Amino acid sequence: MIVPLIKEPPKPAALFKQPFRIPGLTVIAAALGFLLLGSIFFLMVGQPPVATFWAMIKGAFGDGYSLSETLVKTAPILLCGIAAALPARLGLISVGGEGQLYFGALFGTGLVLAIPGAPMYAMLPLMLAASAAGGALWALIPAFLKARMNVNETITTLLLNYVASLFVDFLVYGPWKDPNNLGWPATINFPAAAKLPALFGTRAHIGLIFGLIAAVALYVLTARTRWGTCLRLLRSNRRVAEGIGLSYGRQAILVVCLGGMLAGLAGICETSAIQGRLQSGISNGMGFSGFLVAWMAGGDFLRIIPLSLLLGGLLASGDSLQLFAGLPSSAALVLQGVLFASVLAAGSLKARKGGDRV
Amino acid sequence: MSEFDAALGGFLISALRSSTPLLWVLLGEILTQRVAVVNLGVEGQMLAGALAGFAATLATGNPWIGLIAGVAAGMALSSLHGLLCVGLKANPFASGLAVWMLGFGLSSFYGIPFVGQKINGFKSMPLGFLERIPVIGTLVTQITPTVAMGILASPLLGWWLYRTRTGLSFRAVGESLSSAKALGLKTAWVQVMGIMAGGAFSGMGGAALSVDYTRNWVEGMTQGRGLVAVGLVIVARWNPYLAIPAALLFGGAEALTLRMQTSGVPISSHLLHTLPYLASLAVLVLSYSRANKEGGTPAGLSAVFSQSQ
Repeated sequence: MIVPLIKEPPKPAALFKQPFRIPGLTVIAAALGFLLLGSIFFLMVGQPPVATFWAMIKGAFGDGYSLSETLVKTAPILLCGIAAALPARLGLISVGGEGQLYFGALFGTGLVLAIPGAPMYAMLPLMLAASAAGGALWALIPAFLKARMNVNETITTLLLNYVASLFVDFLVYGPWKDPNNLGWPATINFPAAAKLPALFGTRAHIGLIFGLIAAVALYVLTARTRWGTCLRLLRSNRRVAEGIGLSYGRQAILVVCLGGMLAGLAGICETSAIQGRLQSGISNGMGFSGFLVAWMAGGDFLRIIPLSLLLGGLLASGDSLQLFAGLPSSAALVLQGVLFASVLAAGSLKARKGGDRV
Repeated sequence: MSEFDAALGGFLISALRSSTPLLWVLLGEILTQRVAVVNLGVEGQMLAGALAGFAATLATGNPWIGLIAGVAAGMALSSLHGLLCVGLKANPFASGLAVWMLGFGLSSFYGIPFVGQKINGFKSMPLGFLERIPVIGTLVTQITPTVAMGILASPLLGWWLYRTRTGLSFRAVGESLSSAKALGLKTAWVQVMGIMAGGAFSGMGGAALSVDYTRNWVEGMTQGRGLVAVGLVIVARWNPYLAIPAALLFGGAEALTLRMQTSGVPISSHLLHTLPYLASLAVLVLSYSRANKEGGTPAGLSAVFSQSQ
């Protein structure tokens, strides 16, 4: 009997495998599924579907104000989306954007509280660097556990999200609480030197620019450099890649921590530019929305940009649902879940037809 | 009864009671993972079960109807997971997250009118002479129906999984889908059964939480218990008999947290509340290194876990 020298290598996962490579059909199927299920939801709660969807679109992109609110929501989703898409380049399912966002906010705020009198040219870069370091540090735990002990990163990142938000709660209810807040758990308002600049006089902030730069930079890096080739090789055939001297563990730590840096930046942008101080519950599920965007984009960094805008619009229009239909803003969360389910269903329909399912 | 007995009994019972919702979810996720499917959606199913259970109890005044409603809600949501990852072969991790998002969104949406309401829960059971035994007396008098049923369900499920024909079919599907198919098993059907059983148990866990433990409804009240359960399955080695000790790990850490808080330990309650998560995480990591060495993972399941490599 002939024993094969190299065992059959594990097949690359269908994870993030660009479900939208042929746009037409899959996108249409996902959109139709979303509209159908969303309409059923609206009918169940006694709202006319067409008018409600129209109100949502107007609420997301209808005028200058709503567009600016959409951009406010887009920025953290974009950053967290890249934070999920980059580990996906190695086939890792990291859902830790939420916790990394909290830790970035925590570290950035810590720096602001440590040197409250610093001038802006020193404060802003240091604050951003601290938040990136915080996000990366929090991402290092699941990355290390994955690289060294092969502990499933999805479960560890999800559990660490809870721990990170409890750490922030500890600080804003305890040592960092501003006594002048009369019981409201929050730090002092950031000094003017620690406020990130807004864009075009709206509430939209520079985090959006960071996200755009990161998306384009990573697109180029992964498509054109040796590093990108190395990631592709490690993902498609880990044994062969390791045979020629590439280290899976080192690359896993690198991509997860780089993602953590971006999610951390999202945290400090939200804290500094939107809230103006660190308080409990800053994120509201941005990390998970980012994950959804990364999935919809099939891990393609450029596609993440318009999809983040779309999801930012969906979440921003939650407020208009409240005004127009009297629906609580959690309706946007329901629609987000409906969207995810539709995308998954449409993606597998296509995979089945194309026959490239793994 | 001595004060020590009372304190020990008190701690045991509070550990047991805070473990119970987790125990139910854990048992459900064990069944689901036994058929080689991972369901992160248990978190959302638990929330749906908690809300449905609370609402039904409030409407009827009967906590038993609440439990049934919770089971039904959990199964309804898990059927989506079955459709997506068995029917349409979508990625199980992503499908689970979608179910979680939906469960979280729907329960927050429909739960608004129930915030701040209170229910009475179960009446205590008369147990006669048992109450006078030290330690055990304190224990049994405060055991609620969901706790007692959970303690019974664990060995029953173990017996079912290892000693019956249907249990064997679950294990066969989990070990190798293609061999099970060759044996003539309807593998997709068995997998859907595993997912629906997981839905029923996680809905029960959610209802146990809201109807029997906290007796109120708060948005997102499960606070990651479902996700902890997904991790603890590895600690319990996919074995229903080991579910109780694994669940007690989280519940014990939570009970300890509450105990330390009320006795005035000068540590922030927020920091103390990280303890159950960190304890679960630590044991998870330890079990992983053991599982890597010794095996024991359903073979089909390890393919699901390692498909991302």
